Amino acid sequence: MTSNLWLNELLANPTKAVGETLLSNYFGFTKEQLKKLLEIGLSKGGEFAELYFEYRISNNLTYEEDIVKSASENIMLGVGTRVIKGNKFGYGYTSDLSFDKIKEAFIAAASIADSSNGNKVANLNEKKIQNQFYSMQQPVSLASLEPKIDLTRRGYHSAKSYDSKITRVTSSIADEMQYILIVNSEGVIISDVRPQVRLVVSATAEDGNTRNTGRGNAGGRVGLDFYEKIITPEQIGYQAAEEAVILLKAKDAPPGEMQVVLSKDESGVMIHEAVGHPLEADGAWKKTSIMWDKLGQLVANPIVTIYDDATIRDLRGTLNIDDEGVECDNVMLIEKGKLVGFLNDKLSAKILKHKENGHGRRQSYMHPPIPRMNNTVLAKGDSSPEEIIQSIKKGFYAVTYQGGMVSGTGKFTFSVNLGYMIENGRLTYPVKNATLIGTNIDILKEIDMVGNDMGFFLGTCGKDGQSVPVTCGTPTLRINRMTVGGVA
Amino acid sequence: MKTDYKKLAEQIVEKSINKGATEAQCSIYDGVRFSVDVREGEVEQLISAGSTSLSLKIIVDNKVATASTSDLSSKTIDELIENSIKKAKYLSKDEFASLPELEKIDFSIEKLKLYDDAAEKVSPAEKTKLAIELEKICSSNKQITRSTGAGFSNSYGTTYLANSKGFSNSYKSSSCYIGVGLQAGEGDNLYEDGYYDSARSFKELLSIDVIAKKAVDRTIRMIGAKKIQTQNVPIVLEPEMSARMLLGFLVECLSGSNIYMKRSFLAGKIGEKISSDLVTLIDDPLIPGGRASVPFDRDGVPARHKTVIEKGVLKSYFLDNYSAKKLGMKPNGPGPTNLKLVPGKYSQDEIIRSVNKGLLLCSTIGQGTVPTSGDLSKGAYGIWIENGYLTYPVNEVTISGNLGTILNNITMVGNDPDPRSSFSAPTLLISEMTISGK
Repeated sequence: MTSNLWLNELLANPTKAVGETLLSNYFGFTKEQLKKLLEIGLSKGGEFAELYFEYRISNNLTYEEDIVKSASENIMLGVGTRVIKGNKFGYGYTSDLSFDKIKEAFIAAASIADSSNGNKVANLNEKKIQNQFYSMQQPVSLASLEPKIDLTRRGYHSAKSYDSKITRVTSSIADEMQYILIVNSEGVIISDVRPQVRLVVSATAEDGNTRNTGRGNAGGRVGLDFYEKIITPEQIGYQAAEEAVILLKAKDAPPGEMQVVLSKDESGVMIHEAVGHPLEADGAWKKTSIMWDKLGQLVANPIVTIYDDATIRDLRGTLNIDDEGVECDNVMLIEKGKLVGFLNDKLSAKILKHKENGHGRRQSYMHPPIPRMNNTVLAKGDSSPEEIIQSIKKGFYAVTYQGGMVSGTGKFTFSVNLGYMIENGRLTYPVKNATLIGTNIDILKEIDMVGNDMGFFLGTCGKDGQSVPVTCGTPTLRINRMTVGGVA
Repeated sequence: MKTDYKKLAEQIVEKSINKGATEAQCSIYDGVRFSVDVREGEVEQLISAGSTSLSLKIIVDNKVATASTSDLSSKTIDELIENSIKKAKYLSKDEFASLPELEKIDFSIEKLKLYDDAAEKVSPAEKTKLAIELEKICSSNKQITRSTGAGFSNSYGTTYLANSKGFSNSYKSSSCYIGVGLQAGEGDNLYEDGYYDSARSFKELLSIDVIAKKAVDRTIRMIGAKKIQTQNVPIVLEPEMSARMLLGFLVECLSGSNIYMKRSFLAGKIGEKISSDLVTLIDDPLIPGGRASVPFDRDGVPARHKTVIEKGVLKSYFLDNYSAKKLGMKPNGPGPTNLKLVPGKYSQDEIIRSVNKGLLLCSTIGQGTVPTSGDLSKGAYGIWIENGYLTYPVNEVTISGNLGTILNNITMVGNDPDPRSSFSAPTLLISEMTISGK
């Protein structure tokens, strides 16, 4: 069991001082001890050793059936040890922050290399974060329970009072504060404090035997004031209820190939699945991504520009530094249709001889970093959304989704929760139970109108068994031809 | 010095009561994990770690707060207990929020064979070699373009649970996994699949030759796949699809919280015919060595054998202590364990022969399941059936339908359940679903 001094201090000041205490005394270790641990990591001939300390407080609160149904508090504390040798790495972790346990975890990681000659660790120097991209005012995780109960209650009642057909509502708020400290054999010591919050309302509407669920949500790396200044719980509850009630009248989608319009609100999920994942550089060096050999080639219609920008203020996927301590940046992926970049972690950048660009992320100290997206955006174009819809004689308009998935081979699907049919340039009736399917190479070429609006979708992305928060942004898009899976 | 976690869990419960909780429950998991991933004959990553985590449930006058931590220092635990008690007081009273009354476990946990130490006796080098060999056998097939990686992993640990109703018990469990992912085809027309096996015991894992053959066959059968016309046809579900797609979705629709929140089209349907009478579904958590066998649930309710669907009639939901109380029913476990759709008499060949035009569904991609309505829509890969015979592979289509209708449209049940998964189901014939393609 751990008995570090910093823990006493932490518990004496459970709120504001937590981050400062943890990070200013390196989770209870001296620089000399950290260096010694890294040396153990490199003792078998590893080329790079790293310590990833994490302390995370997260809270969940659920309002349901007119009461606060549940409240939970979760603490995660631990350290991950990683040693890279060539294209491979060893990883260990422990939730016991004693020198001996970390040493043990490092010996496990170090075994990836098998030489008797150890490598040297550079002198450790603390690096400061250059830019702050999160709102650190009124962090939700450090707030008392009352304002959070109030937010969920307001979201709940807004949905409940929308229509008598709304039968059930769940309103919940999830917040966290993550403190990380990264120390590596290149001599880097860097830390970051990351707030995160999301308020989600889901509402079920019932009419006879028909039952449907709608959802509204908003959040990011923001504080409590977000829910007053940017979007209110009432608006979130309203969104959920409105969608559920519209879905009561929705028909099944007519199946087949047709022109498809993707709305700005949630369609970023398609860019994320179809374009983002294949451009994560592990798929490039392993040649498992369909894009691995296409750098410099025209892969999309020239009206398409796609980038991943972790530095957009306050978004769910925003980061100051990635989980390897590399400063984040705006990475251009597809510029006017041409593939110009991949999302790299340290390992893929080294193997592919790309520049490091701050996209190594991990779910927690128990997971090794891998190339991931942050805020993936398809840049605005010239067409108004009205113009795009008016341009279609018969087609499908996708509004909200349940999620999407892509395989390494570039084939993707995304499941539409609510859509509309377009007939003669107008939205006619709501549609449910549709799946859009395609291959990224085709779809990128079929995007033939790009809207001048922009919407952001808050997601949690899963890859290799690891979940990380992301955002995807897109304007309204027209896809000239796409298969809509429906019911005949 | 090894911590006595059973005692620690009991002490935490006692401490919580002393500090003002009316009821308290503590669970601890202490485990070890090893995994190795290889690709192109080389180790790519090696993970070896031990970890401990603790969860706490505090009830103060029917108000519940929960907490969890990976930091087991006594200061943090004390803090969490105090925070949770403080927090619970802010919350609303929920008459159903209380721990279940103590029930005796009247079977031998030992006999469930949840733990086997065989994998611990195998060295990391041997485990690595197995994964490398598996990949090598697959890659030696000329139709395989590349491997996306092979892996071996195993873990073991002990789960402890104690609560203020007097429950205190524990069980040790283990699991092993070996699998491989492959790509076939060329250029932009690549197909991905693979195969794996998992078991409680290292000794029960399928041989790497069997896994390799399955993985290769499954991957190369999709080479040259094409899109087909939109149409309504019979769909034959391979055993894996019957288990993953059909049972996976059904189980979601039968979960206690979806039932009492009326977020499932099956809410209120106990005793009603919801399926073709060819369907009988059983959940048995007490199969010795079963992949999902478990002696008691997270609230200390002893695991029970149950019939979920009997000849098409819905007999039970999956109810944890809370949902059961809400619905005025008896708790029977929060979710499925070893779930089995009872096999019928037909071979897969016989089922395929009975189809004039249809699709053998091999795998799906995407979510596309809505428990509230029962609607299902997924990207699909399969093999086209013409006049009772398999012809060419199909991709870039979707299949869709409503689970209520699909269950009623099951017209043939195979005799070939997939033994690997904790969800076991045979080949099934669904008389009609919609394929959307060209």
